[in-house]
Amino acid sequence: MIIKSIKERKQRRVKLSVYIKPYIFFAVLAPLFMVGEVMIDLMQPTLMSRIVDEGVVAGNMPIIWELGIRMIVLTLIGGACGIACGYFANYAALNFGSDLRNAVFSKVMSLSIEQTDKFTTGSLITRLTNDVTMCQDFVGMVLRMFVRSPLLFAGGLFMALTLDVSFALVLAVSLPVEILAVLIILKKAKPLFTQVQTKLDTVNAVMQENVNGARVVKAYVSEDHEIKRFDNANSDLRDTNLKVMTLISKLAPVMSLVLNFSIIAVILIGNLQVEAGLLEVGKIMAAVNYVTIIMMSLMMISMSFQSITRASASARRIREVLKCDPKIKNGEIKQSEGEGSVEFKNVSFHYPGTKGRPVLKDVDLKVEGGEYVAILGATGSGKTSLVNLITRFYDVNEGRVLVDGIDVRDYDLDILRGKAAYILQKSELFAGTVADNIRWGNENATDEEVRHAAEIACADEFISEFNDGYDTYIDEKGTSLSGGQKQRISIARAILRRPKIMIFDDSTSALDIKTEAKLREALRTELKDTTVIMIAQRVASVMTADRIAIIEKGTITDCAPHAELLERSATYRDIYDSQLKGGQVNVG
Amino acid sequence: MSAKKHTDDNEMLRAHEAQRKSGNMGGPPGRRGPGPMMYKEKPKNMWGTLKRLVQYIGKSKYLLLALLGVMILISLLGLAAPALQGKAIDAITDGKYKHVFTLLAILGGNYLLSSALTYFQGIYASRLAQKTVHTLRNDLFSKIAYLPIKFTDTHKHGDIMSRMTNDVENVSNTVSTSIASLFSAVITLIGTLAVMLSYSWKLTLVALVSVPLTIGGTALMSSIMRKYFIRQQRILGSLNSHVEEMVSGYKTVVAYGREGKSKEQFADINRQYKNTAIMAQFFGGTMGPMMNMIGNVGYLLVAVAGGYFALKGEITIGIIQAFILYTKQFTRPINEIGNQFSMIINAIAGAERVFEIMDTTPENAEECKDIDVESVKGNVSFRDVCFAYKKDEPVLKGFNLEVKAGEKIAIVGKTGSGKTTIVNLLTRFYDIDSGEILLDGENINNISKSSLRKSIGIVLQDTVLFSDTVEANVKYGRRDATDEQLQHALEFAEADVFVERLPEGKDTKLTESGSNLSVGQRQLLSIARAVLLDPKILILDEATSSVDTRTEMLIQTAMQKLMEGRTSLIIAHRLSTIRDADKIIVLADGTVAEMGNHDELLALKGEYYNLYMTQFSGLKT
Repeated sequence: MIIKSIKERKQRRVKLSVYIKPYIFFAVLAPLFMVGEVMIDLMQPTLMSRIVDEGVVAGNMPIIWELGIRMIVLTLIGGACGIACGYFANYAALNFGSDLRNAVFSKVMSLSIEQTDKFTTGSLITRLTNDVTMCQDFVGMVLRMFVRSPLLFAGGLFMALTLDVSFALVLAVSLPVEILAVLIILKKAKPLFTQVQTKLDTVNAVMQENVNGARVVKAYVSEDHEIKRFDNANSDLRDTNLKVMTLISKLAPVMSLVLNFSIIAVILIGNLQVEAGLLEVGKIMAAVNYVTIIMMSLMMISMSFQSITRASASARRIREVLKCDPKIKNGEIKQSEGEGSVEFKNVSFHYPGTKGRPVLKDVDLKVEGGEYVAILGATGSGKTSLVNLITRFYDVNEGRVLVDGIDVRDYDLDILRGKAAYILQKSELFAGTVADNIRWGNENATDEEVRHAAEIACADEFISEFNDGYDTYIDEKGTSLSGGQKQRISIARAILRRPKIMIFDDSTSALDIKTEAKLREALRTELKDTTVIMIAQRVASVMTADRIAIIEKGTITDCAPHAELLERSATYRDIYDSQLKGGQVNVG
Repeated sequence: MSAKKHTDDNEMLRAHEAQRKSGNMGGPPGRRGPGPMMYKEKPKNMWGTLKRLVQYIGKSKYLLLALLGVMILISLLGLAAPALQGKAIDAITDGKYKHVFTLLAILGGNYLLSSALTYFQGIYASRLAQKTVHTLRNDLFSKIAYLPIKFTDTHKHGDIMSRMTNDVENVSNTVSTSIASLFSAVITLIGTLAVMLSYSWKLTLVALVSVPLTIGGTALMSSIMRKYFIRQQRILGSLNSHVEEMVSGYKTVVAYGREGKSKEQFADINRQYKNTAIMAQFFGGTMGPMMNMIGNVGYLLVAVAGGYFALKGEITIGIIQAFILYTKQFTRPINEIGNQFSMIINAIAGAERVFEIMDTTPENAEECKDIDVESVKGNVSFRDVCFAYKKDEPVLKGFNLEVKAGEKIAIVGKTGSGKTTIVNLLTRFYDIDSGEILLDGENINNISKSSLRKSIGIVLQDTVLFSDTVEANVKYGRRDATDEQLQHALEFAEADVFVERLPEGKDTKLTESGSNLSVGQRQLLSIARAVLLDPKILILDEATSSVDTRTEMLIQTAMQKLMEGRTSLIIAHRLSTIRDADKIIVLADGTVAEMGNHDELLALKGEYYNLYMTQFSGLKT
């Protein structure tokens, strides 16, 4: 049992490293070329010192030329190796990033609404963009730097020691000091990095709210209040940033101090050795160079640790997304035929994470194929929650929802959602032309079909008045359109799907009464066989329905045609009166 | 040599960092969006922007001076170090072993001082950067807060956000790293040149051969790189905006089974991005080895020339040693300048996008000479008002309306007939093209916007709530309200019951998307907000469209009380909510088509009658 659960957990753990696997060839090639480059880098100081010692000091011009040309050729080879390493490293890293990005996006596209709600839109976007890029850059850097620095370090150490073992003394002192300093500073800096990220999020959040809610800020003359709010967040960010910076600022002087004093020590030791006749002058130069290499590579390693800290945070955020199993599992049944009946059987539901407070309780409702059923209910009574169960935005906690007699959980999701078109309360349009947006319903629809769908949705009348008609470009989120126009385009989009069931979630609220009546009429004549489930607030919108379901505090209390309800349902009469009070008398 | 090589690595890191930070630039170039939102390939006015940027940095004058002072000292110490090293080695070569100790002691002092100064340089540089960014962000935000609504209506929100974060961040990086290293590069360059000249003008000439090579190489590479980097950023922009759109519209994506198509599109953009980035990085990667090569050629030339001169006995070995060190030190700042160059261009482009917003005329520009209205009675008149959002597409054409203080006016009309526009104009979210709007006989253009808006309570079609507690949201217009007043407002809006049922009552934090409340509940809260403000003029723009009618009726009974003694403008589709209005206006074609009370308009058997009959058609029998 325990073993099994560990095994399961292991399977559930997502490793980002699998995304580098297809490019492992390049990922291995890059460090190999880096080895070439490092070797040549390590040879250079020796060559240079030989040029001085054997050439310049000895006054031997041919040797200068010979060694010089050898050095240039080596530099060329080293450069080529470096370029190749960079290319392969980037090739692997960018492909890794690209695959990872695709994987995360695909995962997000498979998540259930419940899960995207939990992550929040903003966070998902950051994870997909910022965090993936962070990991991608990190891989690229690992392939170049993590190989380079330790290699340089080891190579430098080796070369320095071959020059004269006594230089080891210097390193034995300076290395631990340097490593200790780096570790202490980075350990302190680590939590601060996370803090900076959080503070930046706050700054962005205030900004975003103000851009989106500018009208309310202005209407309530709260600009100064918002400016103060922003200043608080901004100052907070600055202060945290300064804290990190002050800490990190200590790193550079400490390191350069250790480095420079190591150089002094090398010269000092060299001095004694030369005095004792054990060493040549040129070798001191070389030793200085190698000590510099060793210390610099340490500096690079410490910098890499900084980026590990940052990248690991991003990797964690990505893994959180990747290891999410879609809560809504795809079913097997692909039966797209049927007359479009919907049945709620003893359905109870509460939103995930809000334990114990059911939104829907023991709901029973059967909608026959081709029927037109309206749902009326108070604010917060569970209307939207109810219809969300049909298209499986959420799953029931108890009971069953059947479409054409089959449990929605057994359906293939595409088939199910193809059968039932859902029109949201808040219409969502996408950047593209009007026609593009309507074609979301059916990509292969002809222009004629698109126009026809728009006509039924009463959208043609305003679309054809646009200068570019159906080719009019809609901005992000359709800000250039009025609420009623957006709703009608969304309705046209649903109609184009030719669904068996159409679900209107208060999606005609921004239409004026006349237009709405026209739309209802068109639906009735053009889509006779389509089951319509319509949530609405206006009695006029629901009066002509075959039946009207009354939902109160999560249960359906009555369901009958208008006349019947008017007679027996106090609630309905109440709603009716609230809207039509006195109307009858006048119209008479 | 190795030291230089590592500097390249550092630069690579930094360039990477900068690139990552600029990686989230706004949306794609709009297909027909407003021009200024397009991705900039080149700063338009590089020097002008640079000047302004320098002015911003110059605001912390003493900090800047301290930083520059410290940097000059560090550079000078840096110049002296190789000379001392060279002398020490010379001393060893000459066998003056005792002298070596003195030289090394001086060198140690030099290093100690330089390290201490480096610490201060780091502190000063980050303070300067943080201060500059802080001021820039605050200024930008304050600016945006006072920009007309038109600005946020016509600019992509993602782009505004991007300027605030990415572009400002870009500037910050440049201030903290580029300016410092550029400055020290120039000082080092000049200093090194001077020292080299003092050693030997002949060798200096030889060493200078590598300069044109370096400059040419840098210029060539950065121009190629820029092209790819710009393309990469642009593709990244459309990648990000695709993500933004699909994730925020996810419900629709799911409902229409567009996941597959959306993935395809994403993969396509992603592939383009990858391919461009590989090219960009490739060219970026050649920079280091190329510079290394040029540096080594320079080294060889100096060594050859040095050997030649040493043979002739013109120069001592120690001087050649030192000179060779300087040769390395000489190419480094040039590389540095080359590397910083592209970053600085990027930052200037970012600063330009920031300044572009700063240069937009704010709405409080002429505020000072405006009248503050204290006690508003609430007489409103629209006289021959004409207005168009876009030229040639007028929304209001000679609109006239007289509202007496305390009157309740309802506005009805087809979708898109301009009902919301009237609200936009009265609150001066937009300014009229011609005609005039008067409040208590005073042209609203002469009234300060803040006092005008303070006298108007407004509940909008799209509810806006902030990610704060319920209490803070309701108290938004009147932060000094008492708990009793708050409770009263909640009760008034019929919001008290559900607020009490929230996990933490009034202290419950509302989430980003407000997903813990239903749309109707959000509307109730924004009504409570307006109620608490206690304004003279009340505007309800479809305020209750998602509230069920019974709750609405309850609110309305209370509203009747609230509206007494107040001027109210009500926009609604539900005729039941407007029947009691003193005057009903039917808008059509940008003018008032019909006006009168409910009975009068019905008797007219015109537009209103038609609307009314449609709603109640089922009732006629």
